[in-house]
Amino acid sequence: MGGELRRLAVFLGAVGALGLMLPNVHLLALNQHLFLALNVLALNFSLGLGGQASMATGAFCGLGAYASVILHSMWPQGTLVIVPAVAFTAYACGAAVSKPLEKLGEGFLAMATLCLCLIFVNLVLVFTPITGGSNGMMVSHHPMLPFIGELKGDRANFAALLALLALGGYLFAAVRSSRLGRALLACKDDALAASSCGIDRLSTRAVSFGIGGAFSALAGMVLANSTGFISPGQFDLGLSLKTLLFLVIGGPGKLTRPLIAVVVLESLIAWFHALGEATVLVHGLILAGALIAGYWRETGRLRLLPR
Amino acid sequence: MFALYLAQAVNSGLALGAVYGLMALGFSLVYNSSRLINFAQGELLLLGGLVLYSLSQALELGPVTALLATGVFGFVLGHALYASTLGVMLGAQPLRQLMLTVAASLVWQGAAILVWGKNPLKLEQFVVFPPFRAGPLFLGGNTVTALVLSVASVAVLSAFLTLTRTGRAIRAVSMNALAARLQGVNPVRVQALSFALSGMLAALAAMAIGPQTMLRYDMGFGLGLKGFVAATLGGYSSLSRVFAGGLFLGVVEACLTLAFSADLKETLTYTILVALMMLAPLPQNLKQKV
Repeated sequence: MGGELRRLAVFLGAVGALGLMLPNVHLLALNQHLFLALNVLALNFSLGLGGQASMATGAFCGLGAYASVILHSMWPQGTLVIVPAVAFTAYACGAAVSKPLEKLGEGFLAMATLCLCLIFVNLVLVFTPITGGSNGMMVSHHPMLPFIGELKGDRANFAALLALLALGGYLFAAVRSSRLGRALLACKDDALAASSCGIDRLSTRAVSFGIGGAFSALAGMVLANSTGFISPGQFDLGLSLKTLLFLVIGGPGKLTRPLIAVVVLESLIAWFHALGEATVLVHGLILAGALIAGYWRETGRLRLLPR
Repeated sequence: MFALYLAQAVNSGLALGAVYGLMALGFSLVYNSSRLINFAQGELLLLGGLVLYSLSQALELGPVTALLATGVFGFVLGHALYASTLGVMLGAQPLRQLMLTVAASLVWQGAAILVWGKNPLKLEQFVVFPPFRAGPLFLGGNTVTALVLSVASVAVLSAFLTLTRTGRAIRAVSMNALAARLQGVNPVRVQALSFALSGMLAALAAMAIGPQTMLRYDMGFGLGLKGFVAATLGGYSSLSRVFAGGLFLGVVEACLTLAFSADLKETLTYTILVALMMLAPLPQNLKQKV
């Protein structure tokens, strides 16, 4: 646990130092990468610990963003209640969804959760009077924290994302080395053997799925606050697919490597945005290359890459 | 009035359902041989249709040559997809293989944007059938064409899988890969062939849907997903049931659009899928990895 947390501290320190040096316009891009990194960390709870591949990241993230914006518009001073309440709701939803879907294999669970993501986006479109539909919603009130004041601006959101990554990373390492974490790893390695040892698979996996959902919701809240505007397009399948893709590239179960993969690959992809119509092609090639290189590294075909 | 609306819903539902059915067949072929959910299935339809569009612009294609060209290009595209995804990561974890099909879908979509641009392109109707009317039931020309194309594809595929040695090898791998290997069947070759056949089916689906909705660079993913829903409805095991799953999904979708809004239709469709997966999971033998 100590070594992983040290690596996480070094990574967060390096990103923090980079953030201090960057001008605001580049900090916004870095915030986007950290938002994705927080989602990857959230997914790592369910996939890396419990072995459940989820594509519902977009739904949880959107739930957090929409709930936070709507509740803050009704009660601007209620941040200290709203944020934990929304995170807990996402946790409860995640845990409730996980139980009936637990029996599905990786691929089918991914597809089922992908459907949940699509259902969320369509519901946002249907309930236009509350959510603004396809036109989206403006963020009218920023969260208010005691002693800090209004959480506004790129620097404040950058600090919030770093704090959430540090909290999530610590929690991930703590859960993994706990009794619950060992039970989750047992479920991931051999579900039948885990059940034979008396582990309640449904409840155990529901916890990791729920924690992942809660962190995704927190990421959504920071995204809404950072961009000042939310729309269903921000929480569509693309977000869920990207999150799962980066976690698979970085290695499910590892703490720091997926986060580094997000920051490095996303920066690379953003750099290629200038290519215009070739962007999607290059984007796909980078991700395919990273996946194949990861597989070759695991099988020893690429001895030059660090194992 | 209601009967007229219903007849219209059945007409458009069957046209779309035939396409879903073909996509579902491709999905189940690949899934049964390799236990892989192919996220790039929709892109096979897209590229198959776009290649056919370009061919029709350059050459004068008759019905037979168009069908042949679609089949051949679909086969080649499916094989190329296999060679660039599962073929390079045969021993990898299933999730990594699945994610590589996602990346492949982006690559192929990107290639489609570069070559054909982002504007929708209308594919001409190569095989034309007259409209059909029987009492209150009315099927338009496009619907009849889509149905004939898809039913003929199912019949040919069924005959291939039942009557030929290669087809029986595909079925053997689907049932038990290890036993098939012991009988001298090469599962890797069967997987490549399944991808190629699914490419062929997707290209035929493009031929059916191209004249109806036009071809657009971002249409693949949604259609692929509907194919997956249809395959799950059909249960992955029998060709006719999987195809019927597609037809059923198309008609249900059209009726839901008629009764509610298009957004709510999508919500209900995916809710049905999630409920179906929860209540009627796949048989245990289909969950095992090859």
